[in-house]
Parts: sequence; C-alpha cells; structure tokens
Amino acid sequence: MIRRVLAYVLLTLGCAIAIVPFLVTTLASLKTMPEIVQDVLAIPDSPNWSNYRDAWNQGRFSHFFLNSFVVAIGVTVPAVVLSSMSGYAFARFRFRGANALFAFLLLGMVVPMQAMIVPLFYLLRELHLLDSLWALILPQIAMSMSFGTLLMRQSFLSVPQDVAEAATLDGANSWQALWQIMFPLCRPLVGTLALLFFIWTWNEFLLPLVVNVNPDYHTLPVGLLYFQQRWSSNLPLMAAGATIIFIPLVIAFLIFQKQLVQGLTEGALKG
Amino acid sequence: MQPPSRNASSAIGASTPAVGASPSPSRSRRTGPTWEPYLYLLPALLMFGFFFAIPIVGGVVLSFTAWNGISWDTATFVGLGNYIDAFQDHRFWVALRHNLILIPYFVILPAVLGLLPAALVHQMKLRGAGIFQAGLFLPYIMPGVLIGVVWRWMLNPVFGPVNKTLKDLGFAHPPSWLSDFTWALPTIGLIGAWAAYGFCYVVFVAGMQKIPKDLYDAARLDGANGWQEFWGVTLPGLKREIAVVLSVNLINALRAFDVIKATTDGGPGDKTSVMALFMMNSAFGSNQAGYGIAIAVILAIVTLLMSLLVLRLFGESDD
Repeated sequence: MIRRVLAYVLLTLGCAIAIVPFLVTTLASLKTMPEIVQDVLAIPDSPNWSNYRDAWNQGRFSHFFLNSFVVAIGVTVPAVVLSSMSGYAFARFRFRGANALFAFLLLGMVVPMQAMIVPLFYLLRELHLLDSLWALILPQIAMSMSFGTLLMRQSFLSVPQDVAEAATLDGANSWQALWQIMFPLCRPLVGTLALLFFIWTWNEFLLPLVVNVNPDYHTLPVGLLYFQQRWSSNLPLMAAGATIIFIPLVIAFLIFQKQLVQGLTEGALKG
Repeated sequence: MQPPSRNASSAIGASTPAVGASPSPSRSRRTGPTWEPYLYLLPALLMFGFFFAIPIVGGVVLSFTAWNGISWDTATFVGLGNYIDAFQDHRFWVALRHNLILIPYFVILPAVLGLLPAALVHQMKLRGAGIFQAGLFLPYIMPGVLIGVVWRWMLNPVFGPVNKTLKDLGFAHPPSWLSDFTWALPTIGLIGAWAAYGFCYVVFVAGMQKIPKDLYDAARLDGANGWQEFWGVTLPGLKREIAVVLSVNLINALRAFDVIKATTDGGPGDKTSVMALFMMNSAFGSNQAGYGIAIAVILAIVTLLMSLLVLRLFGESDD
C-alpha cells in the first residue's frame, strides 16, 4: 500500500514538473512587473488583462497568429491529398521502379532540416519567393511527403483486400475508388496525419526564421523570438505572448489527445 | 528538446531494414493503363524533387565551393577545402563537443526518467495512470522557441521562480543558470531532458502493454520480485521502444537549435555553441555560404551515423 502511494506521488511529481512552468508563465502574464519582482509565485489581487491586449495588438500576435494558421492549413490540406495519392500508388499498383521511388521519397525522413536550410534559402531566393508565405508552404508540403506517403501506404494496405476489390468490380476507376472508398475508410488515420502535419507546421521554427526577414510574414514561433528580444524587460507582456502560443496547443491537445499521443508515438515506432 | 517534427523519427525511417525489400505492393490488380501509378505519384515527386532533392544535391555541390552567398559568379571550386577548414576550425570542435556533452542529458536522462515511472505503473497495475499521461506529454508538443522563452524567464537569476524557490528553501546562492559559464550548457541539457521525458514515458507505457502477460505470471511463479521482473521481463520486452526513444532523442541532441536560439544564442561566450548554430552563423552571419553548407553536410552525416549506431546496438531484434 505504501509503495502504491509512493508510486502515485512520483507520478504526480513528474506530471507537475512538466506542467508547472506553463502555469507559472500564465500566472505571470496576469501580473504587473512590480508584482512579479515582489513575489513571482503569488496570485495577483486583480488579474491584469491588458498584457494580452498589448501583445495581441502592439506585439502583432494577431498577425503572427493569422500567418501561422494560413501556413498550417496551406500545408496540411495539400500534403494530405498528395500523400494519399502517392501512398495509394504504392499500395495498389505494382510498377517498374516502385521500390526505388519509395526509397527516394523516404530519404526525407533521414535528412534534418538543418542540412538543407542554407541551399533551400538560395533556391527560394532564385525563385523570388523569400519574404512570402509561399516560402513556408511549398517546402513544408515537400517535406511532408516522406512521412505522409509511408503512413498512407500502410493504411491503404491495411484495408481488407475484398473491400478494396469490391470497389473496382463495381466499375469504379481507380481515382473514384481512392476518394470514394479507400480514403473514407482510412479516415481515422487521415485525421491523425492531418493533425501531425498541422502541429509540425505550427511549430516549425528554422525555416521561417531563415526565409522570412520581413515581420509581415512571421509565424508565431519566430514572432515570439523577436518579441522576446524586444520586450525582454517587460516580462508580463512576454509571458502573455507565450501564453497566446501555448493555449491553442493545449486546447488542441486536450481535444485530440488520443490521436496525437498515438500518432506521435506510433509514428516514431513505425518507421 | 525540439518539438516533434517531420524528421523527428528520422533514423527510424532509415532503420527499417531495406525499405525496398519491405512487403512490396502485393495487391497488384492492374486494371488501368500502366502509366496510371506514375500519375498518382507525379505531384508528390515533383514537390519532393524540387524542394527537397534539388537543395540537397545543390547543397552538396556548393559545399565544394567558396562562395559568399551573394552573387553566383563569386563561387569558386575549392574541392574539399571547406571540409578541411572545418576540421581545422577551433569553433567547429567546440560546437561538436557541446553537442556530444548534451547527449547524456538529451538521450539517457529522459529515457531513465520515463522508464522508471512507466515500469511502476505497468508492474504495479496502477489505476488512473492515463490522467498523468496527458500532463507528462504536454511539453513534447510545444514549439522549441516557446520552451526556450518559458525556461529563460523561469531561470532568471533575479526574479525567476526557480531561484526564488531555491532561496526560500535556504540555498543562499543558487547558480545563475543560463548566464553562468559553467552552468549554461548543463542547463540547456536539463531543459532538453525536461522536454523529452514525457514522450519517453508514453512510448514505454505503450510498449509494455504489448508484453505478453504470461511472461509476468511465469516470473511470479518463479518467485521473482518487482525488481527482478523489471530486469527479466519488462526491460527485454522493450528493446524496440528503447531503440526508438534513444535514436529520436539522439537526433534531437545533435540538431539542437530552437531552444538554444531562444535562450542563450550560443552564449555566454561560446559556452552553448552547437553545430546547428555554428552552421547558421557561418552561412548567414559571416557570408561563407559554402563553408556553412559543408558544416551542414557534416552535421547530417554525423547524425545519420550515430543513429545507425544506436539502431545497430539496440534494434534489429524483431520486425
């Protein structure tokens, strides 16, 4: 019994250590600087919401938020469609060069962003795409192809063979079979994949840091970095900015917890 | 330490023994024309080829040139010159050494911190453990910059909550963490461990549920205690998960960037300079694009080799 209680205490502690920094940051965002200096962990007498207004307007977080959202959707939707198509090609057809092409696509999972960011910058410069949302959207669609194709191929292969066959017997061509039968059948996995693409794009930092210097095209993580450099003395404002970034993630996490945890751990395990 | 990303599972992709040999499309029911599959592949291949393959190949080519990154006619072929320069560059070795120092913090510490509670929950059959999972996993989905920003103020030596608590507990002179020459790098390492242990926990819990129950029954019949069960049944049953966790963490240690950029930016002095930061500063900060790219290529090769090594040591057993 005592050991059980100890085990629960240990778990609670581990959990608390993971969450407390976020809670304390939110707490700080509701205070004034003198209140923080006086006692950083105390609950303020009256919450100071103006930090959020200032971060949202003056700190341009409304703008970064919109950019992040547009880019995340602009990457997720095409990436899901394209990787469904390529995954379908590998799952359904046998064709010359299939193995080589599959291996080629998977190369994207072995090469970290750091290894390609510098030449990618110059490529985008040649295309006159620097300082635009396209510079964030197009490369991230491309980099989603590896994991997307792998996952969609696997989920299409897991559809029972007779179901897949029934589709073609009804006289549907392969395109109709893909979108009207196979894709809806794999909906749970498609959802997980879309969720992962969305969060990966939402969190991407190196690419937007390098390719977009103009703050008009900053996303939230890069916005937060410059925000921190500019307002390092105004801690409550910075804490409000940080809270604006993690609250949507916490909400998304609470709603989609199961899919996310499963997707991320199994995604790592699958490979 | 970095948020999960498209190539967080990198090495694992590489690990899958010969992708080409994996169950090749068995259900060949070719009804349409032979070019049909290529049509399905075309958009993905075009995107991937253009924004992935071209930069990679172009990068390798450029790594053999001296180039300021501004106009193309300044690029001159220098063979292995950039690579030789890198190996003779004091800053390169400092950065690489810092990455290596981060490995125990990023790789082993979170794995142990995740493994022990996971084993407790599993072997003691604790109920309600699912609630803890959410909280533990939370840091793993956060952007690295956010983690950096949060910890930078948490660890502020003057008014940060960490030192405030330490002082309340009676430590009169707590370290100044990220701005301290000796503490800065270990602090970065601890932040990385903090960001990863929940992920390790969740992967281990998932893996333990797949261990056959009768192995535990057999162990109990033999009179094994909890500790012996852990060494005899739980740990051997987790080989694959351990390999995954170690290689994901290892990749994060070698490519650490976001958190460092948001906390110390390599400082104080060069105490937290790492490969990715050095690469970026060479390429864009001092207009040595060719040199920066060569360092990126080295970084990619080191990452690949080290994760293959981990998988050779731990993986390969099944699948």
